[in-house]
Amino acid sequence: MSKKSKKLIRQLAAQPDAPAAAPGGPDDVDAAADPYAAFAGRDWGFRFLPDAPAEPVDEKALHLLMKEWRHGRASRTIGQVLGDAYFMIFSLVVLGAMVVNLLLNSNQHAAGCTTDACLAGRTLLPWAVLFAVATLTLAVARIFGPVLASAAEGFWLMDAPISRTRLLGGRLRGVVLGAFLVAGASAALLALLAGAAPLGVTGWALGTGAAASGLMALAAFEQSRERRVVVRGLQIVFGTAAAAAVVWMVLVAAGRAPLLDALPTAAPWLVAGAGGVLAAVFGVAAFRRLNQIRRARLLSGGSLVSGMQGAMFALDLGLARDILVEREAVERGHVRPTKGRGLGLRALIWRDAQRVVRFPKPLLGLVAAALVPYALDALGIALLLPLVASLGLAAALVPFLGSLRVLTRTGGLARSFPFPTRDLRNALMVVPTLLAAAWMGVAFPAVAGVAGGVQRAAPDALAVTFAIGVAGLLGAVRWQTAKQVDFNTPMVATNAGALPPALIFNLFRGLDVCLLVTAPLMFGAPVYVSIGLALVVYFFLGVDMGELQEEAKEQQRIAAAEKAAAKGTAEKIRISRPKR
Amino acid sequence: MAKRTPVLTASGISKSFGPVTIVEDFSLEVFPGEAVALTGRNGAGKSTILRMLIGATRPDAGRIEFEGVRMSETDPAIRRGVATVIDDLDFFPDLSVVEHLDLLARAHGVPDPEAIVDDVLAEVQLVPQSGQLPGTLSSGQRRRLALATAFVRPRRLLVLDEPEQRLDVEGVAWLAARLRAERERGLAIVMASHEPHLVESVATRKVRLVGPSRADIPDAPGAGTAEDAEDAGAGA
Repeated sequence: MSKKSKKLIRQLAAQPDAPAAAPGGPDDVDAAADPYAAFAGRDWGFRFLPDAPAEPVDEKALHLLMKEWRHGRASRTIGQVLGDAYFMIFSLVVLGAMVVNLLLNSNQHAAGCTTDACLAGRTLLPWAVLFAVATLTLAVARIFGPVLASAAEGFWLMDAPISRTRLLGGRLRGVVLGAFLVAGASAALLALLAGAAPLGVTGWALGTGAAASGLMALAAFEQSRERRVVVRGLQIVFGTAAAAAVVWMVLVAAGRAPLLDALPTAAPWLVAGAGGVLAAVFGVAAFRRLNQIRRARLLSGGSLVSGMQGAMFALDLGLARDILVEREAVERGHVRPTKGRGLGLRALIWRDAQRVVRFPKPLLGLVAAALVPYALDALGIALLLPLVASLGLAAALVPFLGSLRVLTRTGGLARSFPFPTRDLRNALMVVPTLLAAAWMGVAFPAVAGVAGGVQRAAPDALAVTFAIGVAGLLGAVRWQTAKQVDFNTPMVATNAGALPPALIFNLFRGLDVCLLVTAPLMFGAPVYVSIGLALVVYFFLGVDMGELQEEAKEQQRIAAAEKAAAKGTAEKIRISRPKR
Repeated sequence: MAKRTPVLTASGISKSFGPVTIVEDFSLEVFPGEAVALTGRNGAGKSTILRMLIGATRPDAGRIEFEGVRMSETDPAIRRGVATVIDDLDFFPDLSVVEHLDLLARAHGVPDPEAIVDDVLAEVQLVPQSGQLPGTLSSGQRRRLALATAFVRPRRLLVLDEPEQRLDVEGVAWLAARLRAERERGLAIVMASHEPHLVESVATRKVRLVGPSRADIPDAPGAGTAEDAEDAGAGA
């Protein structure tokens, strides 16, 4: 604390109207009948605006002024920042070179492959990526706006009589261009992996990028019209098309469907043209209507982004998901209440089952996860089946563990339920366990080798399927129940500054459990090793390590206090009793 | 005459954050049918004490017991007996208002949970919002829902942190009447409040907290947390 602060505190203590804080003194709060009477005669020194009329505002000048303030506060130049981060930049360059090399090698390998699986991948994968990127673009646009403003801008700028078109125009251009770049890069990457020729890679990158930017502009236009139905409808259409493309690809690879080799090679260029026209037309239309987007609509996306930024700063994907789930619930707003059933833990299980009926969309993810083992077998990468299938199942089960997540993240609600924490967790795992069992039933034939891959006898396949299913379930539980990173713990010095050790591991939570349980299967160890590891993981997931540590500290403290008391050094305990 | 046993006992509890001692050697006994109000300025340590009393925060020193059992928020017996409304209450984003209360009542094995839930819902004036998801409630409605969670379940001790927050005038009047009725039925209550009406109507004892002290500034105002206890006007 500075000398100035200490001086201020002492001055405050010396003031005659400072609160009488002597221990055991009279309670002056109760003595005053009117708590505001003490302030009645105070001169507050109000300041009012001059009577002259306000001058017109230039939005551009306002922006420049803010920019200047921000630059004025910067303590380091970009050159200095890059100089300090040389190690990271060097690492990124080396890593990037390795990735490019890997991609080129993979491209050459895939281009030389002539099996049905490779041909299907080369023909259909870019289409699947196009449709998936379109779906994702529309989903992101719908959730975030796509045009948005921060809460600070909403409060400090939008209350002023300024043009929102000039304020938000740059942002619209940013999201349309950003969609083009991100979507184009993703498409190029996957086209390379599928073994496409350089011209094809360029075509798919341009086509997918232009389609994404066109759809982003369309979503911005719809945002200005306060409509959601068009974006939602297109999202369903593109999502279905993406799923159909993937299923077709797997069927071709498995030899159960003919290869579609009649698709025109000019298709990506046609898509690029259509996307470009869409972006231009709806971009201009959306720009003209920017002034009409409501402030609440703009700020809602802004607050979501700031929440997500906070979550990503802590590398906490769980928190990021919580924010999205909360947003979805707010959008839905109202449900038809249903009656509960049973008492005690059964009531919790029943509510979990009702949730599945109320929000059935995640069941689509579970169905998709059940197809993953078949796809892996068909594509000839059965060796990775245990890990990849368990990860797919874990991702699909995460939405069904929402109650567990809520009861883990803050103690308030868990404290309301009269059960031990382990019983509470077990009850909230019942419905996800049943869903995992259903997944095992569907995935069992693939693990047995029906769709190719490793051939296993039925009992062995059953045990392996069980191990994979348990790995997926426990991975999802781990993902949902992991504690947030504690920034009060001792930090580790890194090139990116001081970081709590748990921060990096936060990214891998869930994945670690899947890898631990399925690794023995991939290395050919007996299946009971995996099941044994799963049991150990289950035990540790039910234990709150933080609680255990606190408990141990508490016991040490009590023991020390008792020891001190035995020596007669402890202070007497004072208990205030009520006067009667 | 049978000796009365306290529901809650805190003996010489202390809590510091760095050099700042928020609570020092604080002791309290709360008996059935008694309501203790913690008062004091912002930062005096009211919420910290409440969090320690319910086991959400561990004290650096001292001991807290609920009905003779050392306080632990994970102990099911304590969870069964202690109802809390403090600032860490969370909601299931996908369950409606009435479903939250129904779930809690059923989890506590309340017979005929629907009847009690309907009554409490009407009492907190959330019947029109019964099908709403919590994210869509106003802050005042969320507060009413949080308070309702304490009244649809069995309880022997009720701990409330500034329960008047976000409530309108009618809401504060209702809360005061409800807490007084709860206390008269034998419930032990500990609450922190800045609302004079609530304190005067409900509390049988007021404890005024003075404030934190800093180890590095011995003559800072409020040095040394102290508490004054006295009987309040509400009567036992």
